[in-house]
Amino acid sequence: MMETKHFVMIGIAIAVIIGVVAIFVASSDPDGLESTALVVQGDKLLTGETPEDAEVVEDVHGGFAYESPMPDYELPDMGIPGQIIAMLVGIGISFIIVLGVARVAARQKECGNK
Amino acid sequence: MHIPDGFIPLDQAVIYWIIALVFIALALRWARKELSEEKVPIVAVLAAAIFAMQAFNLPVGMGTSGHLVGGALAAIILGSPFAAVFFLTIVLIIQGVIFGDGGITTMGANIINMGVIGGFVGFFGFVGLKKAIKNPYVSAGIAAWFACLIPALAASFELWVAGTFPLVPGLIAMGTYHAAIGVIEAFITAIAVYLIWTARPDLDWTTKKSGMPITEPEKVAAA
Repeated sequence: MMETKHFVMIGIAIAVIIGVVAIFVASSDPDGLESTALVVQGDKLLTGETPEDAEVVEDVHGGFAYESPMPDYELPDMGIPGQIIAMLVGIGISFIIVLGVARVAARQKECGNK
Repeated sequence: MHIPDGFIPLDQAVIYWIIALVFIALALRWARKELSEEKVPIVAVLAAAIFAMQAFNLPVGMGTSGHLVGGALAAIILGSPFAAVFFLTIVLIIQGVIFGDGGITTMGANIINMGVIGGFVGFFGFVGLKKAIKNPYVSAGIAAWFACLIPALAASFELWVAGTFPLVPGLIAMGTYHAAIGVIEAFITAIAVYLIWTARPDLDWTTKKSGMPITEPEKVAAA
C-alpha cells in the first residue's frame, strides 16, 4: 500500500503534468454546452464542424458581468508562461483550499467526539 | 457543461443557488462525519487532479470538445455522492471566481448539475451496476458516462426554463455532445478508480463486508 506522502506527491505531479500538457494539447473546439448554444443560435450544424468565427451569445438575459483575475486560465498578455502560471495557481489553490476545508471538518469531528 | 452568467435570469439563478446551498451544507456535514486526518491530504490531491483534468479539453468530433467533470470519480472513490458536491463546489468556485470559467450567478445551477446530479447518478449508478456486473472498474466507467449525460440533459432543461435554449433541439444537442464527452468521463474515471484503489486498497469501501462506505482507519482495522 502506497504511503499517504507518496500518494500526495505523485498525485500532485500528475495534476501538474496534466495541467501543463493541457495548455499545449487541449482542443480549442467549443465544449458541449457552447456547441449546443451555437447550434441553437443557428451558427452550427449538430454534427458539423464549428465555423472559425462562431461566437456564443452570452448576454441572453443581460445583467451580471464579472472580470476575473485570470480569465480563460491565463495571465493577460503573458502568453504561454502566463498560462502555465495560471494553471499552477489553480492546481495549488484547489489543493490548499480543499486541504484547509477538509482539515477543519476532520478536526470538528474529532472535537465532537470528545 | 459550465453555464455562463447571462444564460439564466437572476431570479431563477437565486433559486438554484438556494438549492445548491442546502446540498453544500449536507456535503460539509458529510466531510465532518467521514473525513479523518489521514485522508485529508488524499482528498486535497484528488481535488487538484480534478481541477487539472477539467482544464484538459479533448476533441470528440462534431466540432466539439469535452473534459472530465469528476463528480462520479469523487463520489465513487470516497463512497458518497456528497463527496462530489464537496469537490465540485470548491473547484467551481475557484474556476468561476479566479478564471472566469462558468458564471458566478449561475454557479448554483452548475453545482447542482455537476456536483449534486453528477454525484448521485455516479454513486448510485456505480452501486447498482456493480451488483449487476461485479467488475468495479467497468461499473465506475458506465456510471461516469451517465453522470456526464444526465446532468447535461438537466442543464438543457434548466436553460429551456430560462428561455435560453429551445426544449427539444437543446436536449438533442446537449444529449448528443455529452454522450460523446461521457466516453472521456467513463475512461478516465475507470482508470483513475483502478489506479487509486490499487495504490490505496484501504480506500476501497466496496470490498468491506458491511457493503457500506467505511472511511475511518478504526473501522478498517475492525473489518
